[in-house]
Amino acid sequence: MRMAKCLRLAVVLGLLATGAACGGGGSGSSDGKVELTLLSHYSDGPSKEGLDKMIQQWNNENPNVQVKAQVVKFDDLLTTMTVRQTGGRGADIVSAYGLWGGQLMKANVVAKVPDEIATKIKAEYSPAALGAVTTGDTLLGYPTELNTYVLFYNKKILAAAGISKPPATWAELADAARKTVKRDAKGNIQVEGLSLIQDGDNKSVHPFLSLLDAAGGTFLGPDGTPRFDNAEGKAALKFESELAAAKATNPSIMPTKQFRSGGVAMAIQAGWWIGSLKTQMKDKYASDVGVAAIPGPAAGSKGSLAYGFFMGVNQRSKHADEAWKFLTWMNEHKASDGKVTETGKWLADQGLIPPRTADQAEYKKSLSDPNLAPIYDAATYAMAEPNQPGAYEAKTALHNSIMGVLANGKNPDEALTQAAKAVKPQ
Amino acid sequence: MTSAVGRVGTLAVPAQRVGKLHREGRAAYLFLSPALLFFCVFLILPFLFAIVLAFSDWGGFDLGTLRWAGAANFGDVLSLDGTFVKPILVNTLLFAFGSVFLATFGSVLVAYCIDRLAFQGFWRVLYFLPVVATVVAIGNVWKMMYQPAGLINGVLNKLGVNSVGFLSDASYALPSVTVVHAWASIGGAVLILTAGLKAIPSQYYEAAEVDGAGSWHLFWSITLPLLRPALLFVLITQFIGGLQSFALIIVMTGDGGPVNATNVAAFEMYQRAFKYGAWGTASAMAMVLFVIILAITLLQLWIARRRGEETS
Repeated sequence: MRMAKCLRLAVVLGLLATGAACGGGGSGSSDGKVELTLLSHYSDGPSKEGLDKMIQQWNNENPNVQVKAQVVKFDDLLTTMTVRQTGGRGADIVSAYGLWGGQLMKANVVAKVPDEIATKIKAEYSPAALGAVTTGDTLLGYPTELNTYVLFYNKKILAAAGISKPPATWAELADAARKTVKRDAKGNIQVEGLSLIQDGDNKSVHPFLSLLDAAGGTFLGPDGTPRFDNAEGKAALKFESELAAAKATNPSIMPTKQFRSGGVAMAIQAGWWIGSLKTQMKDKYASDVGVAAIPGPAAGSKGSLAYGFFMGVNQRSKHADEAWKFLTWMNEHKASDGKVTETGKWLADQGLIPPRTADQAEYKKSLSDPNLAPIYDAATYAMAEPNQPGAYEAKTALHNSIMGVLANGKNPDEALTQAAKAVKPQ
Repeated sequence: MTSAVGRVGTLAVPAQRVGKLHREGRAAYLFLSPALLFFCVFLILPFLFAIVLAFSDWGGFDLGTLRWAGAANFGDVLSLDGTFVKPILVNTLLFAFGSVFLATFGSVLVAYCIDRLAFQGFWRVLYFLPVVATVVAIGNVWKMMYQPAGLINGVLNKLGVNSVGFLSDASYALPSVTVVHAWASIGGAVLILTAGLKAIPSQYYEAAEVDGAGSWHLFWSITLPLLRPALLFVLITQFIGGLQSFALIIVMTGDGGPVNATNVAAFEMYQRAFKYGAWGTASAMAMVLFVIILAITLLQLWIARRRGEETS
C-alpha cells in the first residue's frame, strides 16, 4: 500500500516537473514593457548586421516594445525551433525556411496572418515569393529571402570547347557538358561538364526540379500527391542519367569548391552563389563567370525553382499584435534613399532577390552585375518550392532516388516510381 | 508443513523487530526516492509517452494536435515498400553485427596479447584512448583518412590501386563506417577482457602445460571458456550500443548517404521526428528497435544460460 503511495507520489512529482519544464516563457515585464524574441538563422556577416541594425532602430523608436534577436546556424534552426516550442519557450517571431511551412502550420506553430496584413502581402510581393511561403491557401508570414536557380557557366572553358554562347536547349546543354568534361589517364574527372548536385540540404533535388520546371512538370500537387512521376519527370531524370552515364556529371564533385578553380564547366545553382563567387574568384569573376536561364528540352523553354524564407508570428506568443506591428514596420519602412524598403536593401546587399515586387523592379533598373539579370528574371517564371506537410520528407525521398540514378546507375523510371511511392500526402 | 513453519516464524518475530523493519523500509524508500523520481521523470514517463505517440499522428509542438492513428504508423514503418525495413533496418543490423564481430575479435586478440606483454598499463591506456576521445573527433579524423586524397587512398595508390570512394560509394560506405565504430569500441572491451583474463587462475595453465598443451590449446580450452562471463558482458553492451548508434554516422556521412547506404534506425528516427515533424512514425520506429534490442539481448542471455554461465 505504502509502495503504491510512493509510486503515485513519484508520478505526480514527475508530472509537475515535466509541467514546469513545459511552462510558457514569459515575454512581458512588470513595468509594462513588452519584450519580443525573434529566432532566426541570420547568425553572422551582413545578414546579422543588417537585421541587428533594423532591430536597433525599432527598439530606439519603440521603447515599450523591445525586440531581442536570437540566432542559430541554419542547420540548427529547425531543431532549435522544435525543442524550444515543445518546451514552451518558442520565440514570438520565427524565421523559417518555406519548405518547413506546412509542418509548422500543421503543428500550430505559426499563427494566421491577420487579414489586412495578408491582403497587403499578397498585393505587394512577387508570385514566386508568395508561392514559396504559402501552404494551400494559407500565407505563413512575410516573405524574406527569395532564391531562384540558374545555369552558371565558365566562359573560358566553354570558349575553349568551341562554344560561343550558353546552351539554350537540353541537347545543347548535354553537348556542351560532353565537350567540356576532361578526364586524366585513369579516368578521374579533372573538369566536370555539368554539375547537377550541390552542397547542403538541397543536394540533387533543386537542380532536378529546375529541369522538371523547364520541361513543364511539377513536383507535388496541392494535396501533396506526387506529380513528378510522369513523362516530364522521366525525361528530366533520363537527361541527368545520360549525363552521368557519359561521366559528364559526377556527384562526388562539389561545385561550391571546384567551380572557382576551373574544375566545373557548368552548374545549376541558386542565385546566392554570385556573392560567394565574387569573393572567391575576385578579378576572375568578371572574366570567367556567366549566368543564363536553365534551358528546357525545346528551344525557348526555360525553368527554375524558387525557394524562400518567411517571418511569421508564433501562435503561442502572448504579444501577437506587437509582433505583427514590428514585422510590418520591418518589411515596409523605406531605406535612407527612399526608393526601396530597408528589408529589400538588406536582402539585396546580401546578393538575394528582394521578394517585394517594387523593390525587385527598382533593383532591376540598375543591376550592377549582368549576371544578376537572369536570376531576377527567373523570379517571374520559377516553380515555387512546395511546402505542404510532408514536403520535406518527399524531397528527401526524391533526393535518394536521384542519387540512386546519378551515383549507382539505377534506371530513372524505376527510381521515380520508387520516390513517388515514398511520398505520403498528409 | 512449510506454511506452518512460515506462520510460526512470522508469529515468532517480536513486535519491536517488526516496527524496526518498517522503519528501515521507510528509510530505504526515502533514500531510493530521488533515484525513483529520476527514473520516473526521465525514463518511465518518456517511455510511456513514446508508446502513446507510436499509435498517434503528431507533428510535435502542440499536444492539442495529437490524433489517434491506431497501428497505422507500424504499418508504414514495417511496410516492405518503405525504406525502414530495407535498407535502414538491414543497415542497422549489419552495422551492429559487423562492429560487434570486429570489436570482439579484435579486443580478445589485443587483450590476450597485452596479458603477455610488459608495460601492460601503457598498452591498455593506448587502446583505451579512442573511448575517451569524442565521436566527433574520431569521425572527422577517419573521414579525412577516407578522402580520395586521404592517407588510406594514398597508401593504396602507392600500391598501384586506384582510389576508393570509401564514403561516397554506396557499396563501401557502410563497411567503412562499421570498421571505425569497431575500432573505437575496442578500448572499452579490452579493459573488461583483460580484467577477465587476470581472474583466470594461473594453476590451470601450469597444469595444462605440464600435460603438454600448446599455446593454441591453452587459449581454446582454458582462456576462452573461462573468459565467457566477460565476453558475454562485452557482447551484450556492444550489441546494444551498435543498434542504437548514429552519432558517428552523422559525423562521417552527414545524412546517412550515399543513397541511404549508411542510414540506420536511430538516425532515421531522429530525422523523422526533428526534421519532418513525424513523431508518430519516429516513435513506432523506436518501439520496433526496442523490441529488436530486447530480443537480441534475451537471446544472448538464453544462449549463455544454456552453456551454464551465471548471468544474474
